[in-house]
Amino acid sequence: MVRRVKKPARIKTETRIPAHKYISSDSNLPVPSTVDEVKTRLSEIFSCCSDFIQREISCGKNRLIKIVVAYLNGFVDKRILNQDVIRPILDFLSNAAMNESMSISEQLKECVVVNNDIKEACNMQQAVDGIVSGEALIFIDGEETALVIGVKAPQGRPVKEPDTEISIRGAREGFVENLLTNTTLIRKRIKNPNLKLEMMQLGKQTKTDVCICYIKGIANEEIIGEVRRRLKKIDIDSVLDVGIIEQYISDSKFSLFPTVGNSEKCDKLAGKLLEGRIAIFCDGTPQVLTLPYLFIESIQNTDDYYDHAIFATVIRFLRLTALLLSTLLPGIYVALVSYHHAVIPFRLMITLAASRQGIPFSPFIEAILMIIAFELMREAGVRMPKPIGQSLSIVGAIVLGEASVAAGIASNLMVIIVSITAICSFVVPPLIRVIMLLRFTVLLAANLMGFLGIIILIVVVFAHLCRMRSFGVPYMAPFSPLTSADLKDSFVVVPIWAMVTRPGILRQEKAEGAKGTKRQEVMLNSDVQKD
Amino acid sequence: MMCRKIKKRTDRVLIACLLVFLLFLTGCWSRRDLTEISIVAGIGLDRTEDGKIILTVQVVEPAAVQSTASGKGGSAQQKPVFAESYEGETVYDAVRGILSVVDKKMFFGSAQVLIIGERLAQDGIEEVLDYFIRDHDFDYEIYILVAKDTTPMEIFEMETDIDAIPSVYIYGTVDNTESRGTVKKTMLIDLIKEMSGNEKQFAIGSITKAGEMRVKTEGVAVFRDGKLAGWMDRYETRGYLFAMDKIKNAIINVPAGNGKIAMEIMRSKGKISVEFNNGELSALIVNVKVYANVGEYKGKGRLETPDSLYELEKALGEEIRKEITMAVEKTQKEYCSDIFGFGSYVRKYHPRYWKKAKRDWLAIFSELPVIVNVDAKAERVGIVMSPIE
Repeated sequence: MVRRVKKPARIKTETRIPAHKYISSDSNLPVPSTVDEVKTRLSEIFSCCSDFIQREISCGKNRLIKIVVAYLNGFVDKRILNQDVIRPILDFLSNAAMNESMSISEQLKECVVVNNDIKEACNMQQAVDGIVSGEALIFIDGEETALVIGVKAPQGRPVKEPDTEISIRGAREGFVENLLTNTTLIRKRIKNPNLKLEMMQLGKQTKTDVCICYIKGIANEEIIGEVRRRLKKIDIDSVLDVGIIEQYISDSKFSLFPTVGNSEKCDKLAGKLLEGRIAIFCDGTPQVLTLPYLFIESIQNTDDYYDHAIFATVIRFLRLTALLLSTLLPGIYVALVSYHHAVIPFRLMITLAASRQGIPFSPFIEAILMIIAFELMREAGVRMPKPIGQSLSIVGAIVLGEASVAAGIASNLMVIIVSITAICSFVVPPLIRVIMLLRFTVLLAANLMGFLGIIILIVVVFAHLCRMRSFGVPYMAPFSPLTSADLKDSFVVVPIWAMVTRPGILRQEKAEGAKGTKRQEVMLNSDVQKD
Repeated sequence: MMCRKIKKRTDRVLIACLLVFLLFLTGCWSRRDLTEISIVAGIGLDRTEDGKIILTVQVVEPAAVQSTASGKGGSAQQKPVFAESYEGETVYDAVRGILSVVDKKMFFGSAQVLIIGERLAQDGIEEVLDYFIRDHDFDYEIYILVAKDTTPMEIFEMETDIDAIPSVYIYGTVDNTESRGTVKKTMLIDLIKEMSGNEKQFAIGSITKAGEMRVKTEGVAVFRDGKLAGWMDRYETRGYLFAMDKIKNAIINVPAGNGKIAMEIMRSKGKISVEFNNGELSALIVNVKVYANVGEYKGKGRLETPDSLYELEKALGEEIRKEITMAVEKTQKEYCSDIFGFGSYVRKYHPRYWKKAKRDWLAIFSELPVIVNVDAKAERVGIVMSPIE
């Protein structure tokens, strides 16, 4: 990874400047005025770039007008370049119908080049930036400015259903690596000029296109401003993935809980935008960030809104149970069998004791061993090439199953508990990693102090959660602060025809350091969706 | 500036780490794995002839219980429970002493029943119960029984084929008194309340052996001043429970013509009170209201008319009244123990009178006449009205 590493100030001044500026001396200098100079300049800049192509064409009546076409091979669509750009120029220049009062490049821009995406580059920096981002540079001898024409060839994989977020109902379209395709997918769903897409570039080396997307009038202006501010502050060499941006703009940088969400699904993102959230697209990443991200979103799913509200509500409770179980279950088990025998029903106690008979480890060690075994398997399963998957699952079933019981390493019950824990953790995908770490902490606390330890830990975690904010919005909203109007889409899902207001909490909060405002204001600010 | 900020942060992290390490210093105290304890299913207490306490425990062998339950295992199978006893000066002494014959520490929280031997009951049980009340390890909902014509050791050594764990079987028989009402279900917590609120007059359910592999829980042991005074049979017990409002469901046989009608008590409300006459206590009153269904008609007769039902109600009331009177009179005359709690009723509602009667209350109590009013209602007769002819 080519990210800039923070170094002490002294060294920074020495090394930083040449590191990211490819033309240190003349980046702001105007484009040279002759073809030869331009060519030498570009050759210098793009030395050892085998994909760099520049071609000099002599045209005009007496082959007096020289033009230079420069682009990166493979990046531009050559057919469009030839048909829509070069051919008209050549035709135009060979005809005598030239307007003497305007410069050639201006005339080309105005009435010759078919392509719509056309800019003027006044200095070398702009010209080079255009070339490296897939545009073609056209320079006419004697002119002050060069033309930069967008003839980027469409690239990347086609739009597919995302593998990471599976839903039963709803659109199958998922975002791809290409930023423009992604923004188009959103436009397709929200046909409204108020859908704003603010483009910017991040990464001094990579010059990655990043796009802030929101619906004007729905999204909170203050949060938008805050997002802009935080994005502008990012000062790094490379943005290879949207995850890097996420880490830079997160509120609680040390918290394990995500304060920025991400999604690969178009319909989900459209829904988030319509709720008043803001999205950040990053070229080269199929995931799109959504913010502010609240805790409750981790148990929400697009399917919830497309189906009967009762099913959705039941499933929300299931998810919540899964969330609690997968964090607490091993800890509770350890606390029960190590400390609190009195609360176990008599029959269960005998079953537990019988299943633990002959196990050489303490319940804590047993649990840790089994959970680590499972986590290893999960990690291996994620990283490993698909064809080997089967052998892993066979080995996994043996290790985390009958064999470990037969070997006397783990008890039957522990195998069941670890399996339930594992299944439950997959129910709430955004929190899988948080849950994993919390599970270990809960186990440790349970082993040290039993239920008391678990309760202390729960209190600490909840205090932390309630203190957290995502772009100024309380993380635990709508529960803390309690916003009764927003409870319609929390653990309970009201039918979609009754869900008439947007989440009020996103509207009324100030972007930074804002205190919870009074409930009346929430009511005032939550405007009606069906207007 | 930056430096100071970082230093502050490292300080915080350091403090947090130190706090976390504090947790490890506790060293997991009081942690005991389930495999390191003896799961006690039943506790028995008795007294030797030379006045020592005998503690008997019935300990579960979980693995053996599991294999009995799943039905595997051959002839050389481990027994699901074993009983062990130890003599000590005090209960606690015996509890610790028993570890010289059993390897794992006793866990009493799982005990289902506490059986008190007859000899100990005669000597008084309050002092031995103190340990059970004081220690935090005990379940206050444990059932207490008094062994009649047997010892706790005998009961715990008995093997039964009904349940792998005899204590659970005993617990079950006491628990099902809800549908027969012939034994008093005495939990430790209730006993504590009765002992302190009722001037040490109380009754505890009794247990007897019924053959080699069975026990029978029927009747109660009546205590006076914390000492066993005598026993009541199942009908008297039922009368007692009617008065104490503890009947959930019971079958009362009512003579009807040449046969009998078994009435199922569906609901019952019992209340005690006293009657004053010229500032002097003149009678003890028991009011009971029951609702019953006809459960069985053994014999010939008709039940179609309201009159016949009215007759039935009257007969039922009479039956119950007989049982209650029997119970009250037995405690008055024979055992001289106010297990009904008339004394605490007087104390609660007539404190002035109580002050002067307190000293020789039992003498006053045993002389008073008893008025028992039973209001019985027959609600349903079942699918057939009269027996099939």
